[in-house]
Amino acid sequence: MLIYIVRRLLVGLSVMLTVAVVSFMLLHLSGDLATAIAGAESSAADVEKVRVQYGLDRPMVAQFADWLGAAVRLDFGRSFYFQNTVMELVGERLPVTLKLGGIALLLAVIVAIPLGVLAAIYRDSWVDRLSLLVAVVGQAMPNFWFALSLILVFAVGLKWLPVAGNTSWQHFVLPAVALGYYAMPSLMRLTRAGMLDVLGSDYIRTARAKGLSPARVVFKHALRNAIIPVMALAAVELGFMLGGSVVIESVYSLQGLGQLAWDSISRNDYPVVQAVVLIIAVFYIGLTFVADVLNAALDPRMRTR
Amino acid sequence: MSSASLSLPLPTLPAWRRGLRRSLGHRGLVIGSVILALIALAALLAPWLSPHDPYAQDVTQRMIPPAWYAKGSWEHLLGTDKLGRDYLSRLLYGARVSLFIGLATALISGLIGTTMGVLAGYYGGRVDAVVSYIITTRLALPVVLVALATAALVGGSLKVVIVLLGLLLWDRFAIVTRSATQQLRDAEFIAAAKALGASTPYILLRELLPNLMSALTVVATLEMAHAILLEATLSFLGLGVQPPTPSWGLMVAEGKAYMFFQPWVIVIPGVVLAVLVLGINLVGDGLRDVTAPDGRN
Amino acid sequence: MSVLLDVKNLRVDLPTERGLLHAVRGIDFQVRRGEMLCLVGESGCGKSMTSLALMGLLPRKAQRSAEHIRFDGVDLQHLPEREMNALRGARMAMIFQEPMTSLNPSYTLGDQLCEALRAHRPATAAQARERAVYLLERAGVPQAADRLRQYPHQLSGGLRQRVMIAMALMCGPDLIIADEPTTALDVTIQAQILRLIRELQREFGTAVVFITHDLGVVARIADRVAVMYAGEIVETAPVAELFAHPSHPYTRGLLSCIPVRGKTLPGSRLQSIPGVVPSLIGPVSGCAFANRCTEVREACAQTPPQVWLDAQHAVRCVAAQPSHLEAAA
Repeated sequence: MLIYIVRRLLVGLSVMLTVAVVSFMLLHLSGDLATAIAGAESSAADVEKVRVQYGLDRPMVAQFADWLGAAVRLDFGRSFYFQNTVMELVGERLPVTLKLGGIALLLAVIVAIPLGVLAAIYRDSWVDRLSLLVAVVGQAMPNFWFALSLILVFAVGLKWLPVAGNTSWQHFVLPAVALGYYAMPSLMRLTRAGMLDVLGSDYIRTARAKGLSPARVVFKHALRNAIIPVMALAAVELGFMLGGSVVIESVYSLQGLGQLAWDSISRNDYPVVQAVVLIIAVFYIGLTFVADVLNAALDPRMRTR
Repeated sequence: MSSASLSLPLPTLPAWRRGLRRSLGHRGLVIGSVILALIALAALLAPWLSPHDPYAQDVTQRMIPPAWYAKGSWEHLLGTDKLGRDYLSRLLYGARVSLFIGLATALISGLIGTTMGVLAGYYGGRVDAVVSYIITTRLALPVVLVALATAALVGGSLKVVIVLLGLLLWDRFAIVTRSATQQLRDAEFIAAAKALGASTPYILLRELLPNLMSALTVVATLEMAHAILLEATLSFLGLGVQPPTPSWGLMVAEGKAYMFFQPWVIVIPGVVLAVLVLGINLVGDGLRDVTAPDGRN
Repeated sequence: MSVLLDVKNLRVDLPTERGLLHAVRGIDFQVRRGEMLCLVGESGCGKSMTSLALMGLLPRKAQRSAEHIRFDGVDLQHLPEREMNALRGARMAMIFQEPMTSLNPSYTLGDQLCEALRAHRPATAAQARERAVYLLERAGVPQAADRLRQYPHQLSGGLRQRVMIAMALMCGPDLIIADEPTTALDVTIQAQILRLIRELQREFGTAVVFITHDLGVVARIADRVAVMYAGEIVETAPVAELFAHPSHPYTRGLLSCIPVRGKTLPGSRLQSIPGVVPSLIGPVSGCAFANRCTEVREACAQTPPQVWLDAQHAVRCVAAQPSHLEAAA
């Protein structure tokens, strides 16, 4: 078990490194950064000045090494646009995004698991078909459109919730729904598939033969075995949500990490962009690591080895 | 003798007929195919179906609501946008954009992903290790952010979107073809081909690939839908297809400023987007159900 | 001995893609308190379906009907599900064929044993554990107390089956239905488990319906035997009587297939019953064994009647003659 964890950790770290390289190269190779920073109308001399000022004239590898060395110490430099350091900006915005992601995942799970369980128990009934329909339709809607529609209906039409901002908990409801609905169908389907699989197994037949109440059979015996992959998927979905928060945060003006990234992209504020891409990737890698460990740890066959 | 009924083997149809019958019996697949066919048809026939030129601006005809509203007219069935362009025409031409992007991206990412997956699955060992590592790294990248950042640097356009998404969405192709190839690698027909002296490219292309087709089609449809949604997102944020090209995502963006008073400007393109993606997903899921070995469901 | 289980005209039908499968076609049998009834037949004859039908564990699509299924006087058919659930595990228990997959891999053995008791009786955790250890010991599981903390994957198949037996006994049921409990085990372990079941049955006075396809098992442990073929019970008799005077052509055929030391010559061909079991999908009329029977006649086109050769021995066959009477005649 320990060996497994260590091995996964090493893989995760090397992937983080590769992501750092990729995001660095992406920015530095897809166009002349100096020109982009200086502005399209600047003279050649100005562009040169910018190039020297930001160290863009040095060899790529050296630039990368510098950046990485600082990044490890959580020093991502200073934003081009704001006066603060990148870390200060990130520190401000990250909690918002994490809160959003957490609530979104919670909502998705709260809907997905019971629906999946019901769909499996009452297979081929109207409950099953309805949940399948919800799943299929849910995955077809573009998230930005769903977000806007939610605003139209609940904020403008019914006036139940606010449109933008992040001060109160009400501000998080619509964004969390908009962010979480996309993860709900896959979680529900996995729950359903896992439950169907488990409900057909011999030990469930034994549990029924023992005269245990149906609730106990489902929740204690069946769900316990079916839920493990679902939890793992949930962790991975959270990672996706962190990456996909860009759109939602922009629509709802949530001032989170995603919106920071988007604004920085629009403003050519590259230090921030690089840092955010790396940070979100790091979270994603961490979450998949958690998912893998979850899968392994909850299997008692691994525990007693 | 006995009048107890004896079991007789049922006469069997040829495989393709059975496949067709199962396809027709699968409701999702049928509905999805119909949706897809209709939209494809509309896209193909856009020049003839559109009542107006989608690029023609007419400032006097701005923001006319669809025909079923009080202020609407049958001249513009679905109304006009802020520049006076006919909405229905833009919608029809927008279908072309979405479908084209979906197909082109699926093709590019399919080529990249399949090549990687087949090589990794067939050769195993270090090749597999490298490819798996690349896949893991790609999965760790936040696709939307990376696409946005790159598009911002290079400048958004239809071509950029296709190339970018093609270079980013190959992961599922690679994963699926890799595991399928691993399973088929030791199959008898491959060994037979090798024994007959077939070269590796021949084996991969003529023996292996046809057997991956059904899995590939399923993944291709799902990635097509994925690409269409991503393009819409990019265009919505201004970094995808550039105006005046009609893209459904762009139409939502353009309508955002007016959505509080004229909700149809965002509802209509959003609904068609959802319907298209729904159709593609239904086809993909249906194909998966129909081609999966029995008992899986 | 009083009758504990009285089943009359039990039918189980399963809708399939190709039509309605009549898995069990109107069987009657009784089990008395403390007796071991062996239900013997080949694969597909409906014996497992019968056991599931008794416990009320048939798949949702299955249709069960009967004139009555009386357990200690109560007709199980009309029992609401909650009361049936109260019976299951407490007064009627079941042991299944595959010990490797019949226990939940995520919970300890102690947990699964104790819940069998505590679901039905107000016992404390300590009391339940005590009983579990006691039964595990009686079932021949070494280091019983330590086992409670172990997980199923840590035990061999034979041990797991012993745990299943102990689990079935947790509430002290009146009836245990054992569906081929030894079939999936090694031959040497089989003999041990059979002996164990027999002993426990005698000690606790539990009635057992033992389902098997192996006549050797029947000879070893049965009190009474019911032979099933194609969804019907074709012969019922006390075990000695069945082996001495088999009356149904199928029973006779089964017995003749078994090589006997001394009688069967080395190198000679083993006997088999020619033909195949008919399909039970769609209407079935007449005797199901007719197409393979050596004594078939015109009357076999009708459903054969139940003939009572004596108070204990019943046969479903028009050709049924008490064979000892035949020999005498």
